[in-house]
Amino acid sequence: MSADPSMLADIPGLMRIENTDREEMTAHCMDLTHAVYPHHQVYGQYCTIQEHVDCPPEQAYDYLRLGHHLEEWTYSLRGFAPTATPGLWVGHDRLEQETSIYCKVVANPEAMTVDYHCSWDQGDKLWMIYLMRVVPARLVLDKPGSVITWTNCHHPYYDNNPHPEMSPRPDRPWVGDYWDLFYAGHTVEMKNLKAILEHRHHGGLPVSVPPVTAVVR
Amino acid sequence: MNTVSLTDVASYLPGEPVPAEFYTEYPGAEDKLRHHPMFKIPPLRHHVAADETNADMIERAVQPLIERHGRDEIRNVDVLLVHSQLPDLPFVGAGTEVARRLGLQPEWLIDVANAGCASFVYMLKLARRLLTTTDARTALICNAQSAAGQCFTQSEVRRLAQAAIPGDGCGVGYVTTSAGAPVLDVETRHIGDYAGDMTVMLDDGRKYWEAGESQLRIGFTEASIAKVLARGNRLVPEVVTDLCGRLGVSTTEIDVFITNQPNRAFLRNWREALQLPPERHLHTFDQCGNLFGAAIPITLDRAIHSQHVKDGDLVVLGGFAHAGDFAGAVAIRWHSAQG
Repeated sequence: MSADPSMLADIPGLMRIENTDREEMTAHCMDLTHAVYPHHQVYGQYCTIQEHVDCPPEQAYDYLRLGHHLEEWTYSLRGFAPTATPGLWVGHDRLEQETSIYCKVVANPEAMTVDYHCSWDQGDKLWMIYLMRVVPARLVLDKPGSVITWTNCHHPYYDNNPHPEMSPRPDRPWVGDYWDLFYAGHTVEMKNLKAILEHRHHGGLPVSVPPVTAVVR
Repeated sequence: MNTVSLTDVASYLPGEPVPAEFYTEYPGAEDKLRHHPMFKIPPLRHHVAADETNADMIERAVQPLIERHGRDEIRNVDVLLVHSQLPDLPFVGAGTEVARRLGLQPEWLIDVANAGCASFVYMLKLARRLLTTTDARTALICNAQSAAGQCFTQSEVRRLAQAAIPGDGCGVGYVTTSAGAPVLDVETRHIGDYAGDMTVMLDDGRKYWEAGESQLRIGFTEASIAKVLARGNRLVPEVVTDLCGRLGVSTTEIDVFITNQPNRAFLRNWREALQLPPERHLHTFDQCGNLFGAAIPITLDRAIHSQHVKDGDLVVLGGFAHAGDFAGAVAIRWHSAQG
């Protein structure tokens, strides 16, 4: 099978081996390769972090899929309870007083992706999305355990609260004010996740635990 | 411990500047990368004359030191350290010939054949050690670079994109036990893991000294360009950062930063990594190309004598060698011996 070159002829700026030889490609790549990158360049528009966790991927995926575990490994999400909307939960983000966080888990067992669709203050539009993926470390690092990736994208609502009227009080800081600390904050939470999964897996304990408050489903 | 100073530096560039067209207009010249920002070739470089040796260049580079400090002072140096690329003879360095020409009778004479493009840093470290632990009081350290006008002007090699980058020249340093321009500290690392990755290439497989048609050029073994770029990116900022850490200063407090200058990529990346503005990372790439080991003393000499280095400046010299088998940096608190 080969791509039809005529399908690409009108697209400017493509760099493919047909129009860019290896030396030119190397030169271009050298130009793009720096020794250091400013924080805003790496984490300004997207914030992706990743970690190896010594826990089997299926168990790591299951743990992430069950939303109540957010109360264990996140810094400040607590007290989730179901809402009237199936699959939508509401809890407290104790980062700020009296702040509700709405959350829906969208998981895909085949790809082992777990996305948390969230929002502060309201559950109608879930725009703050945490994209996580579990990859078997055997495949990518040739060692046991999981590689867990976690990406957030800089949605415009981080810069402008679309519903300031829903804030519990006028002077409450907005979640987007913390964007520049996402790399750091998420790294702390990823370390929590790693510590919990590894502690239970190494101790022969069940990795997933029941919710603290039983929920009538 | 005695204070040791880099009291003075001087340099010599052979011949008239050779324009880029010497390469770009040569029949069959590789030109596809010529306009690439990273491979845009230096407008000028210098080439040794056909009969010019490393000792010739060193002799000429030392003349300003003789004029400024007196012939007897230079004749009396206790230590002579010489690094030459390409060596004129395969079995002996240029050091003894330099001593003969200049009338030196050093107790310590070493032809340094390692530390490549950062050998000025390493020789400064050696000189400092000898001047603080022996009766030796003064040293002359010399970097001669003569590969450009010889190796890279060969009929076949001249066509290659890499040929237009190097330039020849010679830089020398006068080191004394004094407190004028003290060497504050030195950080050096020999990295055996990266030894041998830079080599000479001969297409017919002959040894470099065997008769044959193939033209000697420099190349890399298994270590690809990408690996060398990554190593260089990492090594120089690392040694400079460690050096500054020991001195208790931030890299941003470096007033004058001078390195080897293999290409524009490294110059940009090191400056960025150490958070220095371009005007504090001085180089002579546009006038001289890649001067290999001679870059640091030549650039320093030109910077001092064009008033780009002021009394009291924290001067840091750093670089790495070959494919990463050595990295080093040295810090000097500059004060001109010329008052």
